[in-house]
Amino acid sequence: MKRAILVKRNDPRSEDHDNELRLRELEELAGSAGYTVVSELTQTRHPDPKYQVGSGKVEELAQLVQNVEADKIIFYNQLSTMQVYNISEICRCEVIDKFQLILEIFASRATTHRSKLQVELARLEYELPKARAIVSILKKEERPGFMGLGGYEDSYAQDVKNRIARIKDELRDVDRDRDSLRTFRHSKGFSLVALAGYTNAGKSTLFNMLVDESKTVRNMLFTTLVPTTRSLTVQGREVLLTDTVGFIEDLPHWMVDAFRSTLNEIFFADIVLLVVDSSELVETIHRKLSVSHETMWEQLQEVEIITVFNKADLLTEEELDDRMLNLGYLAPNPVAVSAKTGFGIDALKQEIRRHLPEWDRVQLSLPLSEEGMSTLSWLFDEGVVHNVDYDDSINIDLEARESIISKAKSFTGKKVNQ
Amino acid sequence: MFEIIAVDISGRHRVDDYYLMVCAAVAASVTPDHVEKVNQISIRSFREDSAPDVPMVVRMIEDTVSEIRFEGTIVTEPGDMYNRPQWLIDSMFTMDFKYEESLSERRCMEITHHVSLSARNLLLRELNIR
Repeated sequence: MKRAILVKRNDPRSEDHDNELRLRELEELAGSAGYTVVSELTQTRHPDPKYQVGSGKVEELAQLVQNVEADKIIFYNQLSTMQVYNISEICRCEVIDKFQLILEIFASRATTHRSKLQVELARLEYELPKARAIVSILKKEERPGFMGLGGYEDSYAQDVKNRIARIKDELRDVDRDRDSLRTFRHSKGFSLVALAGYTNAGKSTLFNMLVDESKTVRNMLFTTLVPTTRSLTVQGREVLLTDTVGFIEDLPHWMVDAFRSTLNEIFFADIVLLVVDSSELVETIHRKLSVSHETMWEQLQEVEIITVFNKADLLTEEELDDRMLNLGYLAPNPVAVSAKTGFGIDALKQEIRRHLPEWDRVQLSLPLSEEGMSTLSWLFDEGVVHNVDYDDSINIDLEARESIISKAKSFTGKKVNQ
Repeated sequence: MFEIIAVDISGRHRVDDYYLMVCAAVAASVTPDHVEKVNQISIRSFREDSAPDVPMVVRMIEDTVSEIRFEGTIVTEPGDMYNRPQWLIDSMFTMDFKYEESLSERRCMEITHHVSLSARNLLLRELNIR
């Protein structure tokens, strides 16, 4: 395991509690990327343009790197290229910031062609504003003076831009296929349910519990980079459940853009299951719910949200009730579950069923014939048949979406009661 | 259901040597993700010679909210309070105060923003300013 030192510059007027939580989040991220955190350093001050933290602090950091034999310095605050260069010159150690750390995690987890493209896009978007500075730093000693590297710098930035455009084109093609698949599923009457929430809330475990599968579950952030979709029957209604990438605080827009298609799974869903880890501190859950609301705010339209208080087995009943009550104003339609033990899964399915888009319920009568029987079997596939009576004809109590009902009616030509 | 009063101020920039600001307060009943009912809207205009500071913003908000008949927690965007920490601002109000958090609070803030901006635009037109 590589050894890392975490550094965070706190804004002078920021709250200690929030700063501490952010540092813990960085620690979790570092752990997910495979680092052992050997030391932490914080400083409260306005940003220093040269080093982000003060120059005295950088000297202290350089000494610390030597003492603990660190392989990497990870900053919480976003660093400019010059800051990275200046700090690494003094500390003689590789320096990255939180976003590069996230990119490292994404790069190590990306397995499919699409996720690799997304990671590459995010990396290039991150690099673009720095492209010129990177070249001038790399070639600093070769700078010939008059005219400098102007042409070369421009061509490097242009190259990054071209690669971004090419990847975007390719992603657009891949996403077009996905979008049409999603539209097709919707038109076929499948309701779409998406799992959303802060990273490491247990979405993948819940996904497995609901669809009875063994998808990779790890106690790590960003295990899921590629959305996985499986069908699930909820009290007679067929839905498609999608597991998605987790939210994280302060995700910059270029990173959100790169993973837009993944987040789209949430925005186009009929129901969003907002999963939270209820065993965490109330303040932590509160902050994570706030971040989730903020992430969903811009794009979420009339989507039903069910808040899933996961990991309920780690709390007493009173503790759980207390948390659900205290966080009520941020938790629409709360349900307590334990994806590990199966507690509350039935209640969750009931809640999902309650919020599914409404289907019409009608009484139909089909002729008692071979054709009638085959239509009945088709109706079993396409809707929910609550009851069937075989008399002179086949009398069906059917719940289905409008298009199926009209098709069935056109076949029977005869409606008994609606 | 929760009772909130979303507040927004438009016009924090100088026009014709003074600041013409409109503060809108929307009292609403909300669930975490939906605005269920808008109970009352109150609008007030303020004319000041200097740029508003936090105490002035608090005063404008309390004046506007005093016309609301409904009880509720005052909700604003952090930017309206110059991103000062919530505990600091809370201590300056006589009523409960918080920054927007949930989807419904954000939706309600959006309504409030449209109200204050439209009211201010109307006022500028009526007064033939600009």
